[in-house]
Formats: sequence, C-alpha cells, structure tokens
Amino acid sequence: MATDIKTAADHGAQLKALLAQQGILIAFIVFTIGFAFSSDRFMSADNLMTVLRQAAIIGTIAVGVTVVVIGGNLDLSVGSLLSFATVLVVDLHDKIGPAPAMLVMFVATMGIGAITGFLVGYLRLNSLIVTLGMLSAIQGIVLIYTGGQNVDIREQDGTWFAVFGRGYVFGIATPIVIFLGLAILMEIVLRRTSYGRKVFAVGGNPTAAVFSGINRSRMVFTTYLISAFAVGCAAVIMGSRVMGSQNNVGQGYELLVLAGVILGGTSLLGGSGSVLKTVLGVLILAIIQNALILMGYPYYTQWLVTWVVIILAVWLDVASKRGRLFTTFN
Amino acid sequence: MRGLMTATAIVALLPAAALAQSVTIGITQNNVGVDSYQTTYEQAFMAYAEELDGVETVVLDAGGDVARQIGQIQDLIQQQVDAIIIWPTQGQAVVPAVRQAHMAGIPVVITNSQIAEEGFEFIASFSGPDNITQGQYSAEMMCEALDGEGQIVQISGQPGYTTAMERQSGFEERLAEACPGVEIMETQPGDWNRERAQRVMENFLTKYDQIDGVYSGDDNMGVGALNAAKAAGRAEGIAFIGATNFAVGYEAMERGEYWGSVYQSPVEDARNALDTALAVIRGEDVPFLNYFDTPKITQANMSEYTKPVF
Amino acid sequence: MQQLKQLVLTQPIWLFVIAITIFFSFGSPHFLDVQNFKNILVQTSTIGLIALGMTFVMINGNIDLSVGAVVALSASLAVGLQSEVGILPAVVVALAAGIGLGFVNGMIVWKTGVDAFIVTLGAMIGVRGLVFLYTQEQSFFATNFAYADFGMSAVGPLPTLAIIFLGFAALMHWILTSTIHGRNTYAVGGNREAAINAGIKVGPHMVVNFMIVGFFAALAGVTLSTQMGAATPNLGRDFELWTITAVVLGGTKLAGGSGSVIGTLGGVLAIGILRNGMNLMQVPAFYVLVILGVILIAVLFIDRQVGRKGAQELRT
Repeated sequence: MATDIKTAADHGAQLKALLAQQGILIAFIVFTIGFAFSSDRFMSADNLMTVLRQAAIIGTIAVGVTVVVIGGNLDLSVGSLLSFATVLVVDLHDKIGPAPAMLVMFVATMGIGAITGFLVGYLRLNSLIVTLGMLSAIQGIVLIYTGGQNVDIREQDGTWFAVFGRGYVFGIATPIVIFLGLAILMEIVLRRTSYGRKVFAVGGNPTAAVFSGINRSRMVFTTYLISAFAVGCAAVIMGSRVMGSQNNVGQGYELLVLAGVILGGTSLLGGSGSVLKTVLGVLILAIIQNALILMGYPYYTQWLVTWVVIILAVWLDVASKRGRLFTTFN
Repeated sequence: MRGLMTATAIVALLPAAALAQSVTIGITQNNVGVDSYQTTYEQAFMAYAEELDGVETVVLDAGGDVARQIGQIQDLIQQQVDAIIIWPTQGQAVVPAVRQAHMAGIPVVITNSQIAEEGFEFIASFSGPDNITQGQYSAEMMCEALDGEGQIVQISGQPGYTTAMERQSGFEERLAEACPGVEIMETQPGDWNRERAQRVMENFLTKYDQIDGVYSGDDNMGVGALNAAKAAGRAEGIAFIGATNFAVGYEAMERGEYWGSVYQSPVEDARNALDTALAVIRGEDVPFLNYFDTPKITQANMSEYTKPVF
Repeated sequence: MQQLKQLVLTQPIWLFVIAITIFFSFGSPHFLDVQNFKNILVQTSTIGLIALGMTFVMINGNIDLSVGAVVALSASLAVGLQSEVGILPAVVVALAAGIGLGFVNGMIVWKTGVDAFIVTLGAMIGVRGLVFLYTQEQSFFATNFAYADFGMSAVGPLPTLAIIFLGFAALMHWILTSTIHGRNTYAVGGNREAAINAGIKVGPHMVVNFMIVGFFAALAGVTLSTQMGAATPNLGRDFELWTITAVVLGGTKLAGGSGSVIGTLGGVLAIGILRNGMNLMQVPAFYVLVILGVILIAVLFIDRQVGRKGAQELRT
C-alpha cells in the first residue's frame, strides 16, 4: 500500500474491491444488457420511460427508508402511510384546492412520521414492532377517514396537480424527476453534511455516537420525518397519476421497498448504505418485472427471479466484505 | 326419512316463532373498504336493516382473509343468529364452514359472489348479480364497438376470486362464439386495483402497437387502463368496456372516452340479500339463484341510469 | 403471592390475557361460552402452530418471514395431491415441502452469512411464486369431505385442531426447557461467538430450527386447509407479520437469547381473544385495525417498563 508500484496482485485486489463496491451497478448493467437481447421492445425509449415511471413511486419511498435503515431501524409503516397520504391529497384536492391539499397532506403525513419517530427514537421501542403496529393502525385510520369509499379528483384535465404524475419536465416524466431529484438530494445530504455523518454514526455504533455528543434520539426521530416526507412525495405522484385512490393503494409496498433497499446493499444493521445504490436496487426489480412480462412469462415468475437475485446480491456483498464466499463456523 | 323431515320442520319452525319478536341476521363480508362497491353495499345493508322493523344485524368483515371469514362464520353460529349471509372471500374454501352452519340448523344465503357447486346443497339461496351473463354482455358490447373485428387485451380481477373468474369465462366464451374476428392477445390481472391496472395497461401499450379494445373486470380498473392510454396518447382508437359501473366510469362515458359497462347497484345487491334472508327465515319460497338485474350501460343509453354513488 | 409476582414479571402478557378475558365477558353475553373458547382455540391454532416454531428461530436471533408463503404451499400440496395419491401421502408431501424449504433457508443463512431477515424475505416472495407456479392461480377443493370433517372434529370435549396445537405447544415447551437442543437455542441466540467457542455446532443447530419452523408452517397450512376443505394460492398473506407480533407480545426478544413457549402461547391467545371479542362486540372492522395496532405498541411499551422494573427487583 505504501508503494506506488502496482503489481498484478494489486490489480486483482482492485478488481475485487471494485466488485465489492460496485457490484450492484455491475449487476444492473448485466441485467439491462441481458434483457436487451431477449426482447427487442425492452430497449425502446418508450419502454425504458415506462419502467422508470413505474419504479418512481416505490423508488421515492425507498430513498426515505434507506435513511431510516442507515440510522439502524426499519420502517414497515410506509405502505399504509402511502395509502393515507394519497387518499388525503386526492380527497382534499377538490375540497380546498391542490396547493392547500398538498400542504395539509405533508403536515399530516410527517405528523404520523413524527409519532413513529418519537416511539422509536425517544422511547427506544423496537422499530420492527412499532412500525408493524403503525402499519395496522394507519390503515384503520384511512378507512375511518373515508368510510371505506374511494376518493377521486373530478376535474382531471383542468388541474395543474396533473403535472406531478402525468406531466413532463424538459421531456422527462415528472415522477422520474421527483424520484431521481430526491435521491440525489438525499445522497448529498448523507455524504456531504454533518447531519448525514451523524446518521451513519448513530446507525453504525450508537454507543460511540452518543459518547461523541450526538443526540441519538433526535437523529432517529428525524430519519422517520425524512421517510414520511418521501412517502408524501410518492403520494403526490400516485394521486396525480391515478387521479383517485383506493384505501389500500399502498398495501404490500413496505416489503417491495425494503427489497429494493436491501438489494442496493444497505445493511439492515445500520451504519452503511447508499441512496444511489438503492435507486439501482429498485430499478433492477422493476426491470425484472417489466422484461419478464414483455418476454411473455406469467407475472409470478418475477417473484422466483427476485428470490434468487436478492439472495445472490446480498451474498456477494457480504462475501466480498468477509473475503471468502462461505462462512467458516460450524 | 320421516325423522329427517320432522327435524327440518322443527328447525324451520324455530326461527319462524322467533320472528314474532325480532330476528337476528349475521353477515360476513369479503373486504369492506377495499373498493367503494363493497363499502356502499355495507352502508346500504345497515340502512335497510334499520328501516325494517324487528331486524337485528351482526355485521362482520373478513378483510379478504379466508381463515378469518371461517372464524367469523363459526362466531355467528355460536351466537345462534337466525340466518347467515356470506359474501365469500373465496368460493371453495368457505364450503365446509357453510356446511357447519347448515348442520347447526342456520340457513345460509350467499351474496354477490357464488360459492363452489359442492356447497349448493348447504345453502338456502344465492342472491346477487349473474357474473357470467355480465361477462357475456361485455363481450357483446365489445363486438358491437369493434364491428366484429380487432385485437384486444383483458385486465381481469383478483386471481382466484369467483367474480373475476366468472366474468372472464363469460366474456371469453361469448366473444369466441359471437365474435370470432376479435382476438384476445393477452390477459393480466389488475387485482381490482386502479393503479395496478394502469401499470398493466402501460406494459400492454409498449408491448402491442395495435390495441383496439380493452375489457376490464370492473370500471375501477377500466379507468386505470383509460388513464394509461390517455397518457400514451392512444386512447382515441381504443374501445374501453368494463363491468360494475363506477362513478368515474360513468363520467368517462359522459366525456365519450369510455364505451360501455354493466350497471350493477350495490344498494340493490344489499337489499336483495337481506330480503332473501328474511324470506328464507319466514319459510317462503325463494328461487335458488335469486339474481337481480344488471343491464348493459353504454354512451347511448346512459341517460336512463342515475350516476352511481360510488 | 411471590409466585404471582414472579408470573407478572416474567409473563406480563398472561396478565393482559386475563384482563381482556374479564373485559369481554362483561362486553358480550356470548363470550364466556364453552363453545366460544373452543372456537378461539381452533382459530388461534393456525398462527399458534407457526408461532411455536418461530419462537425457536427468534430465540436463536433469527427470523422467518417466509412462513405465510409456506402455509399456502403446503395447503395447496395437501389438497391438490390428495385426489391422486390419497390424503395421508399428500399431507406427508406437504409437510416435507415445509421442512425442505426450512432446510434451504437455514443452509443459506448458515453458509452465506446473509441475515435471516433478508434470506427469508427473498423466500417469502419466491415461495409465493412457487405456489402460483404449482397451482396455476387455481384454488383446490378437497372432494372428500372426510378431510374437512377432520378439521371440524373433536376428541372428547376438545376440537382436534386445538388438541394438536396444545399438544405441540407442550412438546416444544419441553424441548426448549429440558433438552440440550433447547439450551443450545438460548446459548446461540444469547451470544453466538461464545456458543461457537463452547463447541456448539451453531450452523447445523440453526438449520434444525429453520426446519422446525418450516414444519410448523406446513402443519399450519395443512390444519388450515382441513378447516376449509380447500386451498387458495393467496392463503397465508400477512401471517408472518401476525406470527411475529404474537411471539414478540409473548416476550421473545428480537435480538435473541430469551423467550418462552408459554409466553408465545399467551401472545397468540391475546390476539385471538381480541379479534374474537371485538367480533362479538361488533366493533367495526376499521377500528379493529387501529385498536390492534395501538395495543401492539402499548404492550411493547409496558413490557419494557415492567421488564426494567423486574430486572431491578430481581437484582435486589
């Protein structure tokens, strides 16, 4: 390491390091090329736009959940919270106008995020169970709010609210812009600010973080605010895209989101991870789904492929950190 | 044989005697809140029970979970209600629980979505729409809309759900028979979910350059498909046919974007179920398949129908 | 008195079970009926059986999210195959499938070192794919009513399914408290490094526990399908979440190293009684969701407060 002369062994080590660090990027490229050969429609600009647009909702939420996971916790409540936020913004749109509706929705959604954050951050309750409880409670609240009715936006063509789900910014669909914009913003916050460093510190080694003067409770609390904010952004896309909402629109999203985050290599133990890699993780899952359907396979084959891909991806990640493929203990 | 007949006679007498005071009817529904149809049904059911004198109800919801529904049926047997109305989460899996109710002497009325044939001997009546006929209606409308020629895609309801399967089979059989010139290129489930249907349609649009028609298992999904086609700028050349006319579908028809659907009122569905159950308790003659009318609704005749409230 | 105090400190969930039992007996005239308790036992037996296996895996410091999908697979196999090979062989195949998938999960966790949460999250998605692949989206119906009759049958005063559940609960309690495997389960979860150093074969040990939870998930699939006389591909969705909830309510720590079958039994009954009681009291379904969520969080909070106090008192 001290010398400038590079040997063959160094090159080997470099390759290994590259694989370890950018495995998910390489996997992404391999999948894209592989599918490009298997279906001529896959690489069309239309289709790639469709894949990105469909991934935008899950991806936007995944950006927020990545921050929570880096901070050392889980968030399973995002599916119900998405239902809550979408129903709220759609329902209020016709009643009080799009801008106030979005404002109220963000305040209410982040308010619920604050409750979760308080329970996990300040009361130190286990995040898996707390967010599981919130998952159930929030779904109930949505149903009580609507009385179980669907909500709709009546004047679909006349509202500027349409821009978020259906519009374009410089020729790129707005959902994609929101998704990638939020991802880049969060990546900068995590990498370049003292806030970001504290999130990593709290997730990586909570005790050490507290000794170095970081307010652990407050940091965990804020990660849930970020997660709720991301859910709010996703709800704006969802509401505008569908111009209506069912009460269970986000059901099951929590695990799809988590699959994307894990695929991106963010450790569930906290303290390490990357928002940009989460983006790749989410895109890989979206590409698998899209390509298999284009190739004419039934929709459930994607689940089998996802199973294998998730385990392989995380295994390679773990193995490269360990320096060997298999564990050694008996 | 005579013993059996006396037994049934006594069983039939018991609730009739109770009718003098009041009757209690239990209902376990499929999944209230998952869509507006089921929610409106529940509200209409409770409102109608309120209107009637001497009718108490126990209103339960299985949340889409078969196991929970079986538990609820057992709970209702436990409470010795006078009749049980079941909106099956799954047509086959509830049969043994239905049989249990039957053996406990409680008459069962199936509502909205039929159970498997094996269970027919244990139920007093089925009350609801004729979903196979609805599928056939949609096939006929599709044929008319396309003048008997074209390529279409189908977005079906939740896999494994009887209503979804019946509409699909009714549609496919009638279409093949009445309209051999129209070809179904592909079918994917939209799970009764508008956003999912929208995604499915987006994939269809990238996969197929020419789509002449879309048949959706209900209007909620149909409007999702319409959304996708409008976003891709291809809605003009596509005939959208649905089922269970929703308010959004009705409005899309008013705008001329949606071709037609099947008019099915959850209010009528709920009232029909409660009336059927009451008639059964009173020992009146009830047709085994007690369908209520679900006519075609198209842009041409929609003015005859009020806009659905859901 | 001392014993009661001990029970409250170690098994706070049973206090909760007693409290809601008293509450619902005043709330509904039908609640305190013998038949109703039989119903509760049968209704909780499904989640309960899975929870027995889950307790072992979680005391180990692992988790299994694939149990819901395994329930669907085993139910589909048991019902789908019985018309061809007969009921008993079909059930054996179904149970073998559960044990086999548990083996696969366990081996992956052991050999790759990937966190069990991730391994079984993958399996949860993938096994559901296997279910749809095998069933082709169809539901299966047991043409022989004997199969469904089994699910409804009773031995003496108790329903057969309740006996199966309580019998296995007793067996698993004995294994956990009185055998080497049970002691190792705590040791591995408490401190894996120390367990390895103490010469415990940690890898095979964990694999065995994954096979145990796989077996119980498959058994739950079979017993559930006997209640329905049918199997559907969507069966068992969310079961993993409710099972984990029950186990955690019963005092098993997610970090591993502590927990008990008696506690799990309490957790399972707590959820079952809550659902049943609220049904009988006609609490609207929307509110049931909120109440269950709030109770889960509240119990977690109280459990920790009590646990803290208990730890202090035991020290003095």
